[in-house]
Amino acid sequence: MSNPYIPRKAIIESIRDETPDIKTFRIKFKDGSFNFNPGQFVMVSMLGVGESAISISSHPEDADKFVELSIRKVGNVTGSIFKLKPGSTIGIRGPFGNGWPMDEASGKNLLIVGGGCGQGALRPLILDVLRHRDCYGRVEILYGARTPQDLMFKYEHDIWARVPDGCLLLTVDSIPTSVEWKYNLGVVTTLFGKTLIKPENSLALICGPEIMMHFAVRGLLSMGFKSDQIYLSMERRMKCGIGKCGHCQIGSKYVCKDGPVFTHSDLIHEPDKIL
Amino acid sequence: MGEAGAFVAELNDLQRLLDEFTKHGYTVYGPIVKGKSWVFSKVSSIRELDLNYTRTILPPKKLLHPVKNRIFDFKLNDGFEVFESCNVKNIVIFGIHPCDLRAIEKLDEFFSQHPEDVCYEARRKRTLIVGLTCNAVDEKCFCNSLGTGPEASTGFDILITQISDGFFLVEVGSSKGLDILKTLDLAEAKPEHFEAKRKHIEHLKSSFTKTADFEGLATLAKDKLDHKIWVETAERCLSCGNCSMVCPVCYCFDLYDSLDLTLKEGVRIMELDSCQLLEYAEVALGGNFRKERSQRLRHWLLCKFGAAGGSTYTSCIGCGRCIVYCPANIDLTEIAHVLKGG
Repeated sequence: MSNPYIPRKAIIESIRDETPDIKTFRIKFKDGSFNFNPGQFVMVSMLGVGESAISISSHPEDADKFVELSIRKVGNVTGSIFKLKPGSTIGIRGPFGNGWPMDEASGKNLLIVGGGCGQGALRPLILDVLRHRDCYGRVEILYGARTPQDLMFKYEHDIWARVPDGCLLLTVDSIPTSVEWKYNLGVVTTLFGKTLIKPENSLALICGPEIMMHFAVRGLLSMGFKSDQIYLSMERRMKCGIGKCGHCQIGSKYVCKDGPVFTHSDLIHEPDKIL
Repeated sequence: MGEAGAFVAELNDLQRLLDEFTKHGYTVYGPIVKGKSWVFSKVSSIRELDLNYTRTILPPKKLLHPVKNRIFDFKLNDGFEVFESCNVKNIVIFGIHPCDLRAIEKLDEFFSQHPEDVCYEARRKRTLIVGLTCNAVDEKCFCNSLGTGPEASTGFDILITQISDGFFLVEVGSSKGLDILKTLDLAEAKPEHFEAKRKHIEHLKSSFTKTADFEGLATLAKDKLDHKIWVETAERCLSCGNCSMVCPVCYCFDLYDSLDLTLKEGVRIMELDSCQLLEYAEVALGGNFRKERSQRLRHWLLCKFGAAGGSTYTSCIGCGRCIVYCPANIDLTEIAHVLKGG
């Protein structure tokens, strides 16, 4: 029986800048294979500093070659990860959690709604749509960030936008004077008026700050989406990742084990959330 | 109940039992007097134990899921090396009351869920449990209402019940317990001894003054998230975390690293944590989903009613510790009563 608190070793192969405070770290495991589902997360271990819960932002089919983690610098652990260079070793525990409902999503129209660094958790899903386009109906990607510089994966937006029977709608909260911006201005819910997807045979999949998800859910419900058609990837403090330490509980749910992806109806009666 | 056999013993036989544990390499912990209360502490003589104790300050979880526990050591070089360091020794916890036995069963079930907490499992496998039927109940005990006492039928290797002054019924709960007891050559228990125990249990059951009704509360309390009792009670609550520290089933913990002075070697620590503390639910950039004291208090109480993530693993077993050690006199049975419309 192996100790679930001991991290595996992974090597950082390359690092790319996404935004002024987000980098994508491409890692490879030293000790064999790594399998995961889109929407699952790992605990990244910086021994001596601590651990942070980070969503996997690459596609499972690439996992034997690399795994990508898109990390925003917000605290001690992520700050120390940002100091690492290619070739450095980091610790990884996981993957943990359930991930996006891939079986349920199959054959359906998908309304993918991302906010800020929440787009990291949605990228594996978007990549799956691109690779297995026939498995899904219409796919619309709505993505909002604070400013144009804060949008992640800019180098892929053209590809996302060209997905057949789909679209990519971008929005930002504000535009610095020196920046050119030809897309929408306003919070991500202001894009809902531009979508063609109807609730029938559709799922909405959302990841972003909880306050943004709060408004997104309201918008979707008023569009006619049912509570159990709305999937949300939740953020809570995590320590163990395996349903033991208690920190990530939302009422009776463990985000690390029962989530991080929940339907809105799963959470509607739980306390201590902004949804 | 004594399916694998039962014996009778006098106090000096219990001393022989302690000696036998020591001979087999076990360190024995039992309830001793500390100030005006009791604690589980290392003992070598039966005379050190207070077999009339009511409740210890910290429950037996302090030995199975320690307040502070080293999970592994590590060295930093180019990357890192990890050295497992679950510190495990053979121990006997002697004199655990039925409510605390039930709590250990819950911890066992919780930590053995996949993926198992291997350190807990390792400690648990090398622990012998000697239960002790309470001699008396006090005004804070309410196990009887929850069905977690005062009679224990599972969760022990050996169960001791004082059936008359200095005379004990010793029941076997496991083969490990039987193996040790066999070496003592005790007289087998007779029906009259079981009858004496039955009468003692009856007497205990009739002496509870505190009652609690938690039936259906797991659902009911969640329908009353806006009840004023949460905010009203939180006005007294100090958010000190005592309730969860002394709770025999509160397992929540923190994980953190500690480096030594060279900054090249360190340990990863598991330390008991409390959902009553402000930082417990804090996320990056200062977000906190239980910023209000009333939210934290409500979360803990929902947990004790079986409505939090720990489900029935962390629900109350009626030991009364949180009531005794709350500096603000918060009593969860009173809150249950209000929620049930009493």
